[in-house]
Amino acid sequence: MNTHPILEINGVSKTFVRRDKTEVAALRDIDLSIPKGAFVSIVGASGSGKSTLLRIIDGLLSADTGKVRVNGAVVTKPGKDRAVVFQNDSLLPWKTVIQNVAYGLTLSGMKWREASKIAQEFIDLAGLKGFETHFPHQLSGGMRQRVNVARGLAVDPEIILLDEPFAALDSQTREIMQTELLRIWQQSGKTVILITHQIDEAVFLSDEVVVFSARPGTVRQKIPIVLARPRNLDVKRSPEFVQFVDKIWKLIEEEVRAAAAS
Amino acid sequence: MKTILDYLSGETRTAALSRAVFSLVSVLIIWQILTATIVMNRMLLVPPAEVLDAFIGEIRSGEMRRNAWATCLAVGVSFPLSVIVGVLIGMFLASSRALSLIGGPMLSALNSVPIIALAPLFIAWLGLGFSSKFVLVMLVAVFPVVVTTEAGLRATDKNLLETARSFNATHIQTFTTVSLPYALPYIVSGIRVAWARALVGIVVAEFFGSFAGFGYAVMAAGQTFDTATLLAYVIVLGAMGLIGSMIFQWLEERLAPWRKE
Repeated sequence: MNTHPILEINGVSKTFVRRDKTEVAALRDIDLSIPKGAFVSIVGASGSGKSTLLRIIDGLLSADTGKVRVNGAVVTKPGKDRAVVFQNDSLLPWKTVIQNVAYGLTLSGMKWREASKIAQEFIDLAGLKGFETHFPHQLSGGMRQRVNVARGLAVDPEIILLDEPFAALDSQTREIMQTELLRIWQQSGKTVILITHQIDEAVFLSDEVVVFSARPGTVRQKIPIVLARPRNLDVKRSPEFVQFVDKIWKLIEEEVRAAAAS
Repeated sequence: MKTILDYLSGETRTAALSRAVFSLVSVLIIWQILTATIVMNRMLLVPPAEVLDAFIGEIRSGEMRRNAWATCLAVGVSFPLSVIVGVLIGMFLASSRALSLIGGPMLSALNSVPIIALAPLFIAWLGLGFSSKFVLVMLVAVFPVVVTTEAGLRATDKNLLETARSFNATHIQTFTTVSLPYALPYIVSGIRVAWARALVGIVVAEFFGSFAGFGYAVMAAGQTFDTATLLAYVIVLGAMGLIGSMIFQWLEERLAPWRKE
């Protein structure tokens, strides 16, 4: 058993300066510690800085104070040990599915022969076999997000950061994608951090759900999700599941009301 | 009648071809009727058949080849070069906000000056022949390319740029794998506009400053009231413009198939 957490976040704060020079505090004093192989979700009201934290973890943004450590090393820029799956369509429209999945690999200088072989594995894993030479605009929203996830996994990161990956999908597709993600996570053994608005999605997938307060985002509460694995969609109808969702929903509601009152 | 119209507004290749043939034939018929009824003066307008005769005559005498060579050489050298220079300037301006803010007003000022009006000046500086044509075509064709290159590079999807960055892409990799492919259809649309402008540029340059070329031939025919020959050359120029425009349009759609849907 690995006693050291793979990801440590200590005292991270971030304030943005708007064009009119006013300041917006996005995050304040975030402390989190995430064990290797865990599936952790971060939920919170809009504007609670969840996506900002994700970008700080990846190294796309730098924190004003505090540190992010991956395997003990301080994060200063994006690295091979982390990959992000963004919410929006971030596939390159002029590249085919396989070229998109291999994108991260080819950027790191890998030859196409090798990169395409690895990409093919993850295309198979994501259930996209037969669509290798399709272009993103020829795929449905759900399939595009599969490509997106496959691209993140293909670079073999230790931590995969998901920024509301299913937000743009209809609810049926979203449920299918959730079970797919669960299956892929179990097969790959990666550490996953998921940002989401969907409380049931967070509870269904996670070992732990971190609830953020309204702006500026702070860690309001960490809730371990004690539900047996492997999980399937039936678990969503269990009373325990409903209790977890209710509890988190109440926390977020309080935050939203408090923010509206202030 | 309804079914014919339905067919002509269809999406098929044959429908598109029929449309082109239909409009061409209509123009020829109206043209023929016009010259047979209202405009009887042959100095003002000649019937299509006479234009065709003049066209064949120009080919037989070798004049068409001589003029085509002069025009195509001048355009063939100056147009590709103006595209390259335009793309480079556009890239330079897109590379920093300060550069764009400094260069922008100057660029739009130059772009709104009718450079064609400077043709006599260039001919006075550079003499008759190739060099004055070259400079005039460069100057009129370069601006649309500069403007669209800069716009395309600036418009690049922020999500895609962030994705490249998240995969640790270098600046050069980000440029070659994201910004440039994204801007390419924009650039081609600029080239399409530039092509139309280049043809105007070359004709005007040849009007005043040369002894060969399509523009020279149009001018010479006009001065001798040889309307048939004049129209023959105008039609050749029109065809050049149309074919160029079609090629670049096709290329634009080819490079960005996702934008159609």
